Amino acid sequence: MDMSLLDTCKEALALLFSLDAELWSIIGVSFRVSITAILLSTIPAILVGFLLAMTDFPGRWMVIAVFNALMAVPTVVIGLTLYLLLSRNGPFGELHLLFSQPAMVIGQIILCFPILVCMSHAAFQGIDRRAWETARTLGAHCSRAAITLACEARFALLAAILAGFSRIISEVGCSMMVGGNILGYSRNIPTAIALETSKGEFAQGIALGLVLLLLALILNFSLASVRGKGQLV
Amino acid sequence: MGLELNIDNLVKRFGTRELFTIEQLQVKEGESLHLKGENGVGKTTLMKIMAGLEKPCSGRVRVTPNQRRWWSDRIHPDVIYLHQTPYVFMSKVIDNVAYGLRLRGGSRQEIKTKVQQALVWARLEHLAEQPAYSLSGGERQRLALARAWILAPRLLFLDEPTANLDRHSVSTVAELVKQLLEQGTTVMVSSHQSNQVTELCRRHLLLENGALHEADTMMEPQRYAQH
Repeated sequence: MDMSLLDTCKEALALLFSLDAELWSIIGVSFRVSITAILLSTIPAILVGFLLAMTDFPGRWMVIAVFNALMAVPTVVIGLTLYLLLSRNGPFGELHLLFSQPAMVIGQIILCFPILVCMSHAAFQGIDRRAWETARTLGAHCSRAAITLACEARFALLAAILAGFSRIISEVGCSMMVGGNILGYSRNIPTAIALETSKGEFAQGIALGLVLLLLALILNFSLASVRGKGQLV
Repeated sequence: MGLELNIDNLVKRFGTRELFTIEQLQVKEGESLHLKGENGVGKTTLMKIMAGLEKPCSGRVRVTPNQRRWWSDRIHPDVIYLHQTPYVFMSKVIDNVAYGLRLRGGSRQEIKTKVQQALVWARLEHLAEQPAYSLSGGERQRLALARAWILAPRLLFLDEPTANLDRHSVSTVAELVKQLLEQGTTVMVSSHQSNQVTELCRRHLLLENGALHEADTMMEPQRYAQH
């Protein structure tokens, strides 16, 4: 059994280093979809987080509670909802987006948006009110003062972006349902791992798993090194 | 035309608790004011309202001549408020000093020259490249003054500028405030006790029992504004 596991791992590494076209196309789809989703959602989500932290309006706590609840929604539930909306008989069926990369991007935006909102809200809430007042009294208009606050909270915001990206790069439920797991087009790392494992083809699954593991390590080490430079003590 | 600040029927409440009511107050260019009052009477809130950083419940603060920016109807570009414990941005001392000037624009060389002058003025030139969060309380207060001085404000609010400072730091801050007054800047200092900075002020106001009184240092407070 141990030998078998070792052989499978060797095979997985061979697949990675031999630049297997199919494997790298899956990695490419994963990165293309998830990076697009995080790029499209980061600025609007941080803006929503900022407004929730800085403004007071009726029902504000309810909006915060809804975003908090949305963080915990299972990916398959998002996938199912989006499937119903995008399917031929659904309200957005005319757009013919089902089983496409844009559908996966939409799903991943829905998944990471609440995380980005909640974590950026917490980041801005943690900033001293005097930062805002100092920026304003020194001549910054509201949007410039908001950028100043974002700079002050940069480490927390970076952590929020990484958390959001980690959630979507590794999710399987939504991508499987609205992407369709089509090889070379909508098959990403998590859906490929699920498929290969069900087929008993563990080598490709392990190779893709290693890529995800390596990515997680790189992202977290990068964040830790940046934080290290900005530490207060 | 000299800068003038006028307060009309200003009321501030927190919930049902009324903090203060000020019927009228006029501050003219070149004046030096000491705002006295016990802790919690609303000195900070009043100064923040006057600087446009907080909204009153009713009444208004007018700063003339009106040069307010289109994006804010409350904050006047010539009016600056400094916190009791100054906030320093997470950057170098030099970048903190340059913050306001960069917002106003200007050539890189011009900004560099002015920042250097401000650092020398506040005796912070040897700390220019240090992270601002590493400064002591007195150095932070000087940094805040340099950050304001560089923008040449016409009205400066100093909220308890000597609180928690040692005697030497108080003297340095007092000297910097004196120079600002000599340059014609109107300065309003809040402090619940007299010190070297408040001694520079010629006009004394007392915020007490929700009302503002004009006071003389040697005489009993005289009622200035009423409920």
